[in-house]
Amino acid sequence: MNTDSPLAATPAEDRPRVLLVDDDEVNLMLTSAALRERGFEVAEVSSGAEALGRLDDVAPDMVVLDALMPDMDGFATCQALRARPGYGLLPVLMLTGLDDDASIDRAYRAGATDFFVKSTQWSLLAGRLRYMLRASRTRIELERSKFKLARAQDLARMGSFDWKRASATEGRLGSLWLSPEALRVLGRGAGDRIELRALLRMVGPAHRRGLIRMLTEVVAHNAVLATDVAVTLFDGRPRIIHVEAEAEFEHGHGVGYTGVFQDVTDRRVAEDRIRHLANFDALTGLPNRRQLIWRTERALEQARRLNHNAALLLIDLDRFKNVNDTLGHAAGDELLMEVARRLRSCVRHSEQVMEGALEAAGARSHRTLEAVGRLGGDEFVALLPEVGDETDAQRVAQRILDALREPILVAGQECFCTASVGIAMFPRDGLNLVDLMRNSDVAMYAAKSAGRNAATAYSPHLGGRGRDKIELESHLHKAIERNELVLYYQPKIDVRSAKMVGAEALMRWNRNGVLVPPGDFIPLAEETGLIVPLSEWAVKEAARQARIWQQNFGFADSIAVNLPSRLFERSDLVENIHQSVSAYGVPHKAILLEITENNLMKDLHNVSLSLHRLNEIGVEISIDDFGTGYSSLAYLTTLPISELKIDRSFVRDLGITPQSSAVVSAIIALARSLGLRVIAEGVENLRQMEVLHRLGCGVMQGFLFSKPLPPDDLEAWLRQTVLPRKAPWIGAVTDAEGVAPRIVGRT
Amino acid sequence: MQSAAVPPPNAPDADSEAAAWATVLDQDALNRLRELDPDGKSGLLRRVLATYVQSLGRLLDQLAVARAASDLQGLRHVAHTLKSSSASVGALQLSALCADIERRVREGTGEGLDSRLDAMALEGRRILDALHPTSPAA
Repeated sequence: MNTDSPLAATPAEDRPRVLLVDDDEVNLMLTSAALRERGFEVAEVSSGAEALGRLDDVAPDMVVLDALMPDMDGFATCQALRARPGYGLLPVLMLTGLDDDASIDRAYRAGATDFFVKSTQWSLLAGRLRYMLRASRTRIELERSKFKLARAQDLARMGSFDWKRASATEGRLGSLWLSPEALRVLGRGAGDRIELRALLRMVGPAHRRGLIRMLTEVVAHNAVLATDVAVTLFDGRPRIIHVEAEAEFEHGHGVGYTGVFQDVTDRRVAEDRIRHLANFDALTGLPNRRQLIWRTERALEQARRLNHNAALLLIDLDRFKNVNDTLGHAAGDELLMEVARRLRSCVRHSEQVMEGALEAAGARSHRTLEAVGRLGGDEFVALLPEVGDETDAQRVAQRILDALREPILVAGQECFCTASVGIAMFPRDGLNLVDLMRNSDVAMYAAKSAGRNAATAYSPHLGGRGRDKIELESHLHKAIERNELVLYYQPKIDVRSAKMVGAEALMRWNRNGVLVPPGDFIPLAEETGLIVPLSEWAVKEAARQARIWQQNFGFADSIAVNLPSRLFERSDLVENIHQSVSAYGVPHKAILLEITENNLMKDLHNVSLSLHRLNEIGVEISIDDFGTGYSSLAYLTTLPISELKIDRSFVRDLGITPQSSAVVSAIIALARSLGLRVIAEGVENLRQMEVLHRLGCGVMQGFLFSKPLPPDDLEAWLRQTVLPRKAPWIGAVTDAEGVAPRIVGRT
Repeated sequence: MQSAAVPPPNAPDADSEAAAWATVLDQDALNRLRELDPDGKSGLLRRVLATYVQSLGRLLDQLAVARAASDLQGLRHVAHTLKSSSASVGALQLSALCADIERRVREGTGEGLDSRLDAMALEGRRILDALHPTSPAA
């Protein structure tokens, strides 16, 4: 149901209140009746004085004034009304005669909003009044929002401006209008006028030309203007003003700009600080990793475009850790700061490079990228954005080495802190940041390996000795003293007697709680020579373990220790082993040395002497991985060897390929005829065990019996599995052949 | 202004009254006035005409005084006021005379003013007689 009736009275708020002033009663009565009829609320007064008297009381939305009245006429009344505070915007309609142009003019001058020719066309009058009211409301809202805007702009230290293009009437620089708020931003009063010329003079001479060039460019294209300008206010205060403006068009032609100023000094100061914190190392003030990456990428872009060389120098302090460890971190920081200061002097170090500045600096701008930065820790990078060739980079590297040659005073002590420098050249050693960083790293480590305090340029053959390896190496160095190395033991089993007849010691590295498998560090240890102390330790540790087991369960067999061939070359090997076993009071034969067939053959001549001497003192030798190398069978007859160890690859295929069992039976036959013991490794299942046993090999090791175990676990295994005869392999062969278990003596 | 007598509440019959008005007032103007008070509830037309008659009588008196004293300002005020109120009630001839007089006074064109003032007084009196036969001035 529609409850709205067309006859419903106009709601009070929509009944505009009119103060009607006319000295003629007839007109007053008629006009008033006509307006009421059309939805107005009317207060009638018959003179100007009465109107002014009732103004506050009636609080009209508008005033309708007869122009010609005795005593105080409409013009005087209007003027008096306008003079009252709060009535500046009240709509006033002046009623004039039809033929009275002079009155119309006077009406406007007296402050009337509009005029209307008296007539009996009431609806015209009502329409005019409604229109005037709407316009007035819009105007009041506009004034209110202008006021709000002004206040908001003041709070935001912002102001508006308009600029009209240069023309015959506007002068060469055009004309500039600034809102009172904009003037306040610039430290001026509301009434002041500032011409564009004066405004430009507020910009320092260093930036003025660039700014004018930019403005000219923007205006030429009617482009959007958005820039920050550093200015000095008239009172000398430096401020940063953000200017943002858009072109204004008339008939498709740009006629000027309209926009805002904002004082963004505080924000910029904060932003600059954040930017600095994000891009510079807090300790040394040098560009940090992030900033270095940014600079390097820019420099490489430029080098690519302009087709020149660039260089990246990785600088790592030698033995910086010693300073930290012995003098403390504060001293370490002090040292880094001094090093940073010296490094900075070795290049054309530019402190601040910002995105915008780079473009502005023109073609040689990449030069400003040159810098020394700190990657972190004791690592620095020198970026040379343009070099002739490698010798330029070498020269800078030398300068760096020279700069660090002088002792540095930290914590009251003179420290010598040399550096190793790795040089990578763009494009020769890499086309991108990642490659250049990696290769400068490789070169730097080459310099370190070669004795430190030197610079090395990257070359491909340096590759491979990367950071990881060096790190591993340096940790491996300390592994022994930190007790990070452990021996695991895998038992050797005589399957007929179901007894343990020895064990092989296998090295493990417990690095920060993680067991590093031998494959990951033994090759490195061999490469670096660390294998020697490692092996010496292993012999000593095995002797110690043999002693413990002797005491714990009467262990009287041998523990096999793997030795690389280079250890056999050492003249003190025999003496070392002698001392190791003596130290724990175990017989020499408690240690069995395993050497791989390959190692043995490689160094046969050097090794054989040692083997003889070891044999003399009672240490037995086993040939590991037998069958995989190219053995000269002749040596087997001349070397003092006690045991052949059948390689796991043959064991694996036993029962699968006939060839493998053929090889295994040949090795067993060979051993038997030479009077050597034979042992199979890598035995993983009962089938392999049975075949080996059938072929005549009774001693084995492998996962079927046990994986390599820590010594305590091995004892537990013996106690819980072997002695109670609980394992599946126990009895398997004896039952098959009906042979009673017996203790097997050594062959 | 309010001191003069008001029209009698027990008016003569409407038809003869309307016929009397029609002799001096424009019918269109009267219709427009009736539209302002369509159902005649507030008796607007009667009140307006009573007010007009009162003011007309007073202004005609003022006119005579101003003429005697050659008071141009006074003449102009009377002409101006009567011009618009007469137009409002439909006394078009009187309104036109007033407009003419007002213009001549304003522009200082004294010629022919006397004959027009005579005509104005005559027309004013005619209207008074037609609208208010019992008026004391009649």
